[in-house]
Amino acid sequence: MLMPMPADVPATVLHQRAHGAFRVVFGCSARGTVLRDLHQAAPLRILFPQPEPGEPPLAALLNCAGGLAGGDQLEQSIKLEAGATATLSTAAAEKVYRSLGPMTRVATDIVLGAGATFEWLPQETILFDGARLQRRFAVELGAGAALLATEILVFGRGARGEIWRQGLLRDGWSLTGPEGLLWIDRQVLSPEAMAAPFGGVGAEAMGMLIVAAPGAEAARDLLRSLPDVGMHITGAFTLPRPGFLLGRWMGRAAAVRRAVEQAIVALRTMQGLPPRLPRLWTS
Amino acid sequence: MASITVNRTIITTIITTTMTITTTTDDALYRLLTWLSPAYPVGAYTYSHGLETAVEEGRVKDRAALIDYVSTALLIGAGRVDGALLVAAFHAAMVEDDATLDSVAVLAAAWRGSAELALESMAQGTAFTSVTLAAWPSPRLAAFAARHPRRLAHPVAFGAAAACHGLPLLPSVTGWLAGFAANLVSAGVRLVPLGQTDGQVATAALETSVHQAAAAAIAADLEEVGTAAPMLDLLSMRHETQYTRLFRS
Repeated sequence: MLMPMPADVPATVLHQRAHGAFRVVFGCSARGTVLRDLHQAAPLRILFPQPEPGEPPLAALLNCAGGLAGGDQLEQSIKLEAGATATLSTAAAEKVYRSLGPMTRVATDIVLGAGATFEWLPQETILFDGARLQRRFAVELGAGAALLATEILVFGRGARGEIWRQGLLRDGWSLTGPEGLLWIDRQVLSPEAMAAPFGGVGAEAMGMLIVAAPGAEAARDLLRSLPDVGMHITGAFTLPRPGFLLGRWMGRAAAVRRAVEQAIVALRTMQGLPPRLPRLWTS
Repeated sequence: MASITVNRTIITTIITTTMTITTTTDDALYRLLTWLSPAYPVGAYTYSHGLETAVEEGRVKDRAALIDYVSTALLIGAGRVDGALLVAAFHAAMVEDDATLDSVAVLAAAWRGSAELALESMAQGTAFTSVTLAAWPSPRLAAFAARHPRRLAHPVAFGAAAACHGLPLLPSVTGWLAGFAANLVSAGVRLVPLGQTDGQVATAALETSVHQAAAAAIAADLEEVGTAAPMLDLLSMRHETQYTRLFRS
């Protein structure tokens, strides 16, 4: 079972630099997907709750520190051998606290073997006012591999009336397929740009969805056919390259989450997986 | 006080422009003006870079909003990345570093935020390469194009061509960004709609942004550079499903 998250982190912890890491390797055996290798370094932990019927193995990522401070670093690595299928999600929203200067750094490397299927479905990342976050997300896709990845960034703790007034977000994504570099995107967002009329338009949250898989065209059409989730959000789907779908949303945090949830459920149906969210999202 | 500052800025700009032109050879100036002319057959006038959706959604209703849109695209949107890619291609082509030039080409082709932004850059890059090779043959540019058939983004094709023809860097990148801005203003004049004079007032107002974007492009580190205009990407994505469309992006 999952451990309950600590309610909040004592102030003394915030001034220590955490250097967390995990590396998970899934393989494919006659019994289906199996865990081949696992390394983890605090404050990151990975748990493997018993999957529900019809669900692929689930890696449940926990940050036992409860959040990330300036200077903290995470190195996350997931590898799926040929034919393996797995899902990764998080037990709670990730919190990035105000930094006194240094960046919080999170590097994620995903390597998918031929025909492997992986779902990267973490819950929100919340940037507290003053948060300075640098993320790097790199995927290598083997032939016929399929990736569904979603990300939700929330700028400030809206429920407390907090706005992300200071800080920096550097968010870099790259996907490489068997034929080379497929897609790259790098955003360098300041609070000023997030407030600008053609920058972030003052959005409380941004959502992103990636499908790199055979059948991405059909996924785009399916996502376009979904009903609106409300007035306080704008979103769209595109194929920057054949076989690669990109979705984006901007708007209120609750609406962005609803839109991402709806998209995940619809895409899972298409993949022949149970039409529901990872249990961590709903418990 | 304010008017004095403004006058100084204008004088400085004029001096800079004059110096720039005097350091440009006549051949280089002629090629630059030709390649950047709206008459150069790359089909620029068919692309709005998401502006058509911004007008449709009521986000751009007047000249001020148009200037803001184009300035955002120049400074923190595609102009930020494409300017840096143009400069990187120029430098690599200048020193005949084919490995770096090829990696810039691959990076530029992958660094597109939507299907239509990819079309906008790749189709114009392909047309630019083809017509430039036909009218101004260059064995080095031809070899580069042959290694990336129909896979050269417009700024990379332009930057490489400028270097292969010995054009100076600053006028080349300034000119390319000015062309990008002028094309969006032209789209805005048709879409909002605005008068022709209003369009030129907008173009004049964007002069500082173009110079800032060019300076930023020359100073950029391709490993660090990024955009900060998620709404521009989103507007381009939404254009794909817009009911009535005049433009291809």
